[in-house]
Amino acid sequence: MAETMFEMRHIKKMYGTLAANDDVSIRLDKGEILCIVGENGAGKSTIMKVLYGLEQPTAGEILVRGERVRFRTPSDAMAKGIGMVQQHFMLFEDLTVAENIVFKNEVRKGPFLDRKTTFETVRQLSEKYALKIDPKAKISDCQVGLRQRVEILKILYQNAEIIIFDEPSAVLTPLEVEGLLETMRNLAAAGKSIVLITHKLQEVMAVADRIYVMRLGKVVAERRKSETSADELAYLMVGHHPATRDIPAIAPGRPLLEVKDLCLENDGRDILKSVNLHVDAGEVVGIAGVSGNGQSELEACITGLTASTGGTVLLDGKDVTKATVHERRENGMAHISEDRFLWGGATEGMLYENALMAKEDKAPFSKHGFLNKRSISDYADDLMKRFKVKASSNTQKLHELSGGNAQKLITGREIMMNSPVLICCEPTRGIDIGAQEFIHDEILKKRENGDAVLLISSELTEIMTLSDRIYVLFEGKIAGEFKRGAIDEKSLGILMLGGKINE
Amino acid sequence: MSKNGKGSGRTLSGLLDALGQPVIAVLISFLIGAVILFASGYNPLTAYGTMITGAFGKGFYLSSTLSRATPIIMGGLAVCIAWRSGYECMGGEGQMIFGAMVSALICYYMPGPGIVRILVAFAAACLVGALYCMFSGWLWHRFKVTFVISTLMLNYIANYVCSYLTLYVFRDPASTDINATQTGKLIESARIGRIDLPGLVNSLPDGLPFKEGLVKYFKGFNLHWGFVITVVLVILTWVLLKKTVFGYRSRMNGLNDRFALYGGVAPVKMLYVVMFLSGAAAALGGSFEVLGSKYRYVDQMIFSTGYAWSGMVAALLANFDPFGTMFASILLAALATGGAAMQRSAGIPIETVKMIEGVIMLLMSVKLLRLFAFRHKAKTTATADEKGGDEE
Repeated sequence: MAETMFEMRHIKKMYGTLAANDDVSIRLDKGEILCIVGENGAGKSTIMKVLYGLEQPTAGEILVRGERVRFRTPSDAMAKGIGMVQQHFMLFEDLTVAENIVFKNEVRKGPFLDRKTTFETVRQLSEKYALKIDPKAKISDCQVGLRQRVEILKILYQNAEIIIFDEPSAVLTPLEVEGLLETMRNLAAAGKSIVLITHKLQEVMAVADRIYVMRLGKVVAERRKSETSADELAYLMVGHHPATRDIPAIAPGRPLLEVKDLCLENDGRDILKSVNLHVDAGEVVGIAGVSGNGQSELEACITGLTASTGGTVLLDGKDVTKATVHERRENGMAHISEDRFLWGGATEGMLYENALMAKEDKAPFSKHGFLNKRSISDYADDLMKRFKVKASSNTQKLHELSGGNAQKLITGREIMMNSPVLICCEPTRGIDIGAQEFIHDEILKKRENGDAVLLISSELTEIMTLSDRIYVLFEGKIAGEFKRGAIDEKSLGILMLGGKINE
Repeated sequence: MSKNGKGSGRTLSGLLDALGQPVIAVLISFLIGAVILFASGYNPLTAYGTMITGAFGKGFYLSSTLSRATPIIMGGLAVCIAWRSGYECMGGEGQMIFGAMVSALICYYMPGPGIVRILVAFAAACLVGALYCMFSGWLWHRFKVTFVISTLMLNYIANYVCSYLTLYVFRDPASTDINATQTGKLIESARIGRIDLPGLVNSLPDGLPFKEGLVKYFKGFNLHWGFVITVVLVILTWVLLKKTVFGYRSRMNGLNDRFALYGGVAPVKMLYVVMFLSGAAAALGGSFEVLGSKYRYVDQMIFSTGYAWSGMVAALLANFDPFGTMFASILLAALATGGAAMQRSAGIPIETVKMIEGVIMLLMSVKLLRLFAFRHKAKTTATADEKGGDEE
């Protein structure tokens, strides 16, 4: 029997009258990878925050290596060898990788940082755990995947024995996710004990030794990986089997969105190289690709957020290449943005304000420039009801909502535009299975309605499930076009990475 | 929970929220002031009594307070409009100076009836202030010069340009005093008229029980109509910001300019419209000060009084709510007039009042309400961390 690293007994965490955790008991053994899965709001992050000293439990006890502990801050937890890789990295942009790793625990030479030793220590650490990095690189030059590696090394540098990963793959590209999973296996093999919080079941099945499933603040099941399956876990998480989709064939109509020879040059770099695509009425067209191959720029050029440097964009035959965002929206384009808080909403704004955007000058929401508060409020309630946005009132602020609920509000707002063309980017990023299903249903309803949907997503399954046609975007170029069923996930993956498939 | 309480969408509680901050800041400042007064050997209660009497105790004092508040409110409105839209403009002072200068010159030199001169002066002041403000907007838009730098520098430029003009070009020809750097005094008809409140009170039917008291109180009341126009402008600004499509768009622009762009708000147009309105408001404040109180431009008159800065403090205190800004401005003005009275009649140094002002500003920057709202913290953490909304 392996040594028990920590044990949490009957933890209860109340927020007001809300039980985020209710009688949760969890154990971690040495050298294992433990996964905690559950939908957003199931309480999995809370339980780890309690362990890490970010939250104080309302009831229950925590034992680390058999010793009863009470952490008031994360430093207390760190002192006992518990480290956490947060979703949002806390790194200094202008400092080097090595400097970030040793921050607060520097090797000094007099009052100064001993650079030589620092770089050397970090290099050795990186080799020991096969986490390749350049200690001298600046954080601002590092991709997200690398930054995460720096976070992991930072924790390892502080001699953590228990490493908690909170939704680590949410920010990563598929390739980086592979690397991360590999890292976890290496760490476990090196004797570290890992806790992975996630709702992505492929990852769970790839690395887990043991799994706790949480639902509504409680642990509903504990399984060894060998005795369970992704299907069973999904069932346990949401309480029902996700329906397999039966998508009726629709004969596509005339092209509603056409992109011809679209180019974008930025600082002498060609980001988009003569992109051609079209989306017809009654069609969902997917853009598959590894993040950073021009998807964001394609989105921005089509929606008018960025001016393209060549080519044309036609909306139902009308040239809108030079049109403003407002004109494009007037001409029937709606847009679910890739980043819900950067572009898609105002976090400090109230829900009804967020719901109103792009409709503020339309009847019945305003007349002669004056807002009609009642109809706006009714509309917001309506939207929140239809899209199952859970909130106490439409005067709550957007940031008070969970990521999934915020996404539902934004997706709902754009779908309720009832526009012929919908540019739909990462519509389900970071949201749980239940809400994903629902948003997929809404996208398909638009398709049935005879609208054109351009779906840009880094979730390959999402693209494969929903799209009538798929374009592969690689390094700013269309690397292939396929009808539904004409390509499998594996070949698509090869194309996405710049390979060729033998026909 | 929103940090100002959950009902901030409703008008009444929204107003209370906007008022909560200045009221708490002011109360605490007065408490600290009381300790200082006590330590210096004065009776705080007597001192504050004198102060309140000196600010509101007689019609004359009340009108001095409101008259002083007028340019402060206008400077505050300028800040409300600009900052709420996300443009952190500090150029109210420069715009106010030009507004004052232009009004003084037009009403002095322009031929024609007084009322025409006044109206032209208002329009010209608005225009000049607006253009001056739009200039810093352009610097930002075109060269990415931050507002803080450009507007602060432009304040100095405005002040010294007007100093030069007052000293060498438009110096009052009638002035015999070699040290008086000021423009010519406006004729009676080219000034903003007085509110005849004493007359109104006098004309009340006899026999009303409170008439005598009112007549006595308002005997020395001497306030120009500029204050009334300012109150109307406060209402209009409130309507503009809270009730119109423009107000919605500007607020969204202030909260997240990317979101506004994404939703179809034209960013450049928004910038210049906001700059126009903000600059015009500040300049009008200068105009009121000249046409209603000083009847001429006196060198440094805006610069040394710090009206625009008090306006900014008021607007920040009120979280950019126009009504809140108005009340905060009146409070700050009362502090000044009452403080002067305290010095006059109780011999308490004016510095004590300055100290209280300083503490108000300090508390404002600490965003005191957030500290007091710790009750909300648990709930906020709940929603932020585990996103409790998902639980049934």
